[in-house]
Amino acid sequence: MNIKNELLSRLYVVTATFIIVAIVIFGQAARIQIEEGDRWRAKGDSVHLKYVAIEADRGNIMSEDGLLLASSMPFFEIRFDLNSSGMNNKAFDEHIDSLAYYLAYHTDRSLSPEDYKKFLVRKKAQGERYLLIKKNVDYNELQKFKKFPLFKYGQNRGGFIVIRKSKRERPFGQLARRTIGYVRENAQPIGIEGYFDDVLSGTAGKQLMERINRSTYIPVDDLTLIAPEKGLDVVTTLDIDLQDVVHEALKSGLQRHQADHGSVILMDVKTGAIKAISNLGKSKQYGYIETYNYAVGESTEPGSTFKLATVLSLLEDGYINVEEEINIQGGKMKFYDRTMKDSHPHGMDTVTIAKAFAISSNVGIASIANQYYTREKGAKRLYANLKSMGLTERTGIEIQGEAAPIIKDPNDPKVYYSGTTIPWMAHGYELSLTPLQLLSLYAAVANDGRKMKPYIVKSYARDGKITQNFYPKIDIKRIASKSTIKTAKRLLELVVEEGTAKSARSGRFTFAGKTGTAVTNYSKKGAKSKYQASFAGYFPADDPQYACIVTISEPSQKGYYGSSVALPIFRKIADKCFSMKEDLMPDLQEYASLNQNQHFVIGSNEDLRWLIQNLNIQPLTETNAKFGVLIGQKDSVLLKERIITKNRIPNVVGMGLRDAVYLLENEGLKVTVSGFGKVKKQSILAGTHTKGQQIHLSLG
Amino acid sequence: MTKAGTPIFRGIDVITFSIMISLSAMGWFMIFAVGYGESGYPDSIPLFLKTQAGKQAIFLGVATILFLSILIVDWKFWRTFSNPIYLGTILLLVLVLVFGTEIKGARSWFHIFGFSIQPSELAKFGTCLAVSDYLATVKITASSRRALFYSALIFGVPALLILLQPDAGSALIFGSFVFVLFRNGLSPSFVLVTLYVITLLIAGIITPIPSLLFALLLLGNLVIAYSMKNRLVWMGLYVLILASSLLVFNLDYHLEAILANAGLLVISMIFYWRETSYDLPITVLGLITVGLLFAASSNFTFNNFLKPHQQDRINVWLQPEKCDPHGSLYNLIQSRVAIGSGGFAGKGFLNGSMTRLNYIPEQSTDFIFSSIGEEHGFLGSIVVIGLFMVLIWRIILLAEKQRSLFSRNYAYCVAGILFTHIVINIGMTMGLFPIIGIPLPFISYGGSSLLGFTLMIGVLLKLDQNLKSV
Repeated sequence: MNIKNELLSRLYVVTATFIIVAIVIFGQAARIQIEEGDRWRAKGDSVHLKYVAIEADRGNIMSEDGLLLASSMPFFEIRFDLNSSGMNNKAFDEHIDSLAYYLAYHTDRSLSPEDYKKFLVRKKAQGERYLLIKKNVDYNELQKFKKFPLFKYGQNRGGFIVIRKSKRERPFGQLARRTIGYVRENAQPIGIEGYFDDVLSGTAGKQLMERINRSTYIPVDDLTLIAPEKGLDVVTTLDIDLQDVVHEALKSGLQRHQADHGSVILMDVKTGAIKAISNLGKSKQYGYIETYNYAVGESTEPGSTFKLATVLSLLEDGYINVEEEINIQGGKMKFYDRTMKDSHPHGMDTVTIAKAFAISSNVGIASIANQYYTREKGAKRLYANLKSMGLTERTGIEIQGEAAPIIKDPNDPKVYYSGTTIPWMAHGYELSLTPLQLLSLYAAVANDGRKMKPYIVKSYARDGKITQNFYPKIDIKRIASKSTIKTAKRLLELVVEEGTAKSARSGRFTFAGKTGTAVTNYSKKGAKSKYQASFAGYFPADDPQYACIVTISEPSQKGYYGSSVALPIFRKIADKCFSMKEDLMPDLQEYASLNQNQHFVIGSNEDLRWLIQNLNIQPLTETNAKFGVLIGQKDSVLLKERIITKNRIPNVVGMGLRDAVYLLENEGLKVTVSGFGKVKKQSILAGTHTKGQQIHLSLG
Repeated sequence: MTKAGTPIFRGIDVITFSIMISLSAMGWFMIFAVGYGESGYPDSIPLFLKTQAGKQAIFLGVATILFLSILIVDWKFWRTFSNPIYLGTILLLVLVLVFGTEIKGARSWFHIFGFSIQPSELAKFGTCLAVSDYLATVKITASSRRALFYSALIFGVPALLILLQPDAGSALIFGSFVFVLFRNGLSPSFVLVTLYVITLLIAGIITPIPSLLFALLLLGNLVIAYSMKNRLVWMGLYVLILASSLLVFNLDYHLEAILANAGLLVISMIFYWRETSYDLPITVLGLITVGLLFAASSNFTFNNFLKPHQQDRINVWLQPEKCDPHGSLYNLIQSRVAIGSGGFAGKGFLNGSMTRLNYIPEQSTDFIFSSIGEEHGFLGSIVVIGLFMVLIWRIILLAEKQRSLFSRNYAYCVAGILFTHIVINIGMTMGLFPIIGIPLPFISYGGSSLLGFTLMIGVLLKLDQNLKSV
């Protein structure tokens, strides 16, 4: 009996446990679903919720030295959920007077506090849940609204809804506007914004939104928010000072000649970095504005500027000697059924090839090309040479919409080479290139035959810290032999010394280049000729730093020649560069590498910190990086990070020898030194891959 | 004895069987709803079979075949081979530690021929058999701790192996064998002490030790005062001290309050010792000391040895206000919102927006109850919980009807495991229990769990069927 009782009691205990737990679970389900459930169900039945993507803040686009070229400015829209589930009537009645007072004062409705209160009460009675309070509220104003009576309780209890929006601003207005570009709905994305859209746009977040009427959704509450991740900043190679110079020079040139449109690109010869790029087109309403990226997107017949490629090819194949004399027949010659004329009348018959190039004789260059490159065999040879100069491919610049070059491929059976194709190609017709593609050829010649890949973005950054660097890339190691390049450079200098660009010579500095005047509508018989005037070149001639191309389409007054329309613009830009850029002034070389006339010290961060601590200076910015740059300001100093990347040659210009040798030897380089003082020049470009090279440092 | 030609279904318990079938069917529909998403299902059958609902349909087919095979096999098989089956599942648990695939940091799965098998689900079944077999041969008494030790070993080993994966949730399930031990004579005081220790382990995490000491002193005083011969006097004293602690210190711990209580405890214990015996004072003192030690050690372990994500799990349960609503608390909040938004009648099948938008992680597996709550509301929840409770109740009834000890023990094991699964799983979706990744039997998506529970119930039905056909 006892045993049976005990067994029974055990059964009871087990059963009781089951029942108690069951009751607890039932109870909790009832509590959540019936008690709290009403709250959720009150918000609407069935599928009134959906995910809405929240756009992340778009990253900025910045100039080389960190100025904002494009940036997203947040602004807010304030709405009032007068019937939010967490707001009780008591709280509403209690705060409505003071809230109405504040709102009447802070919004632009012309209502008195009394009327505003009536308005709110009426809207609440109507079941309003998304009342617009104010649009275009900036961050500071938002902070004020957040403290208003009732609103300070947030969305659920206070009905305070903030909709975040942002607009894209370009602080420099028209400067490089087209190159910076945009991404808009229902429009082809363009420029850097388009090309780097993925990087700039970040990762969108998600928010559960609840439908309150046919077309309006409001956020459920902030717990369902998956926060978006801000996009990366894109740091360009653009130099805002140079960009300004280029923009103004192009604009005044276009105005002077009332041209249809034009473009200028300024490129760093040694790296391929685009320092400035400007595109202006005529608009009836606004004058000249950035409307299309001609420099990258417009492929045209270049005309005489292309003769450089023809001569490079002839020289490389060893067909000509530039001192050799040829007959240019007074500047007029018949090829098959077409007659070719030189653009500039000169009346000469026998000249050297060099002279023919300098005076831009179409007949001269075309006839020798026609002589050596026959339609059957030579065409393939010429094409192969152009290909090895990289002229048959896009440059791959990181701007949306680069046009492809068109050069007839004789290996393609569908392509037709007529009897006049080669002579016309020789002076820049029957083929088309964008200004950028042509410029990269001139830059390659200036850079002793090494063709750099043009680029416009040098790094990605987040919150002022660089997350990824992009280094200069070599596109083609050597586009032609050393002697060919040397001769080509000499020819380009001759153009300025005694050729078509003679008028623009400067006593202050040297430059080299080639004029071009192309007829753009020759196929239209009888129509008034339209022209494209251009000048491509580089400066200084003896130690090229910058390459620049100016292309002006359809000038309508005061001349149409490359020499009279494009060349003055080039000259103006070069002038400004020489007066602005220390690296172009030989006597200022020792301050090179950091821009502006700043006083600075580079060295190990530890040393710099020791220095400022002992001088008792509080720096404006600080860094924990290993190497730092100390830059003098008016009344303080900036301590900035000097980025040292593994397996890349660091920039040691400006450093003391001890630090420079330490850094370079750590990267496995052999260092040779000459002179005394700080490092003035390093023989290998910063950013080059290290592989145990020998590097020479000039001190001074 | 099953005669040749007898339909194999004759004599199986209709209630248990139908509940099992209904739960599996409901489960499949819920998995279908979770996978429905915003765009529905692909039209072609091969593509559908690649979705979770498609795969679960295949698992249901396999489970049916398994169930039928169990009915065909002779009932004696399970008792006879209980130990080899148990050892086999142990072997699998060892092998999975070596050859298993690591998913979300735990080596719990074998990947074979495109399917994943979770041996811990099979181990539950194997352990049921072995524990039942062992307990059928011995009796647990207060004097013999040996039987207790050995049976604890039988379910302790697989639990430990699963803990090594690490899968603490599944390991915890093995604690449910306490039910069968209790039915077989495990001392209630043992259970009570265990509960006391568990309570203090939990309390130790969230309560400061002085507060706990204060609470335990109050409790100890109450016990002793109540047991005194002069109960009225001592209870009066007790109430006096309690009231003054309450009034002066607002029941918060203060050195004075602790000292006053401790003083009363010491005095009353001495009196009790003199009047009656020293048993009770010693026990009370021992329990207070042991309790404080456990609480302190659990507090220390929690703060010093647990990794932040483990602390988070516990904080979500015990002190949600300390948790990040976008981080560790996210699942629970979403789950409660989903369940709550279902209200009384639910939003309707395929109309649960949070279910379809896959708002809750693990929604087809561990958190499937939140989908039931959202789409079928309180009514749906009651039906599901009710079905489970009836199922367990029915299994206990069947257990008590069994003639063989093996069968009775086995039924208790199954009831215990089901009960723990259900309570923890449903409880966690509503915030009653910490979030532990274990499936809801028959309803959650997953082949191993479905087959494991089919095995358990199938064998139970087979054993019970035999009883009726004798």
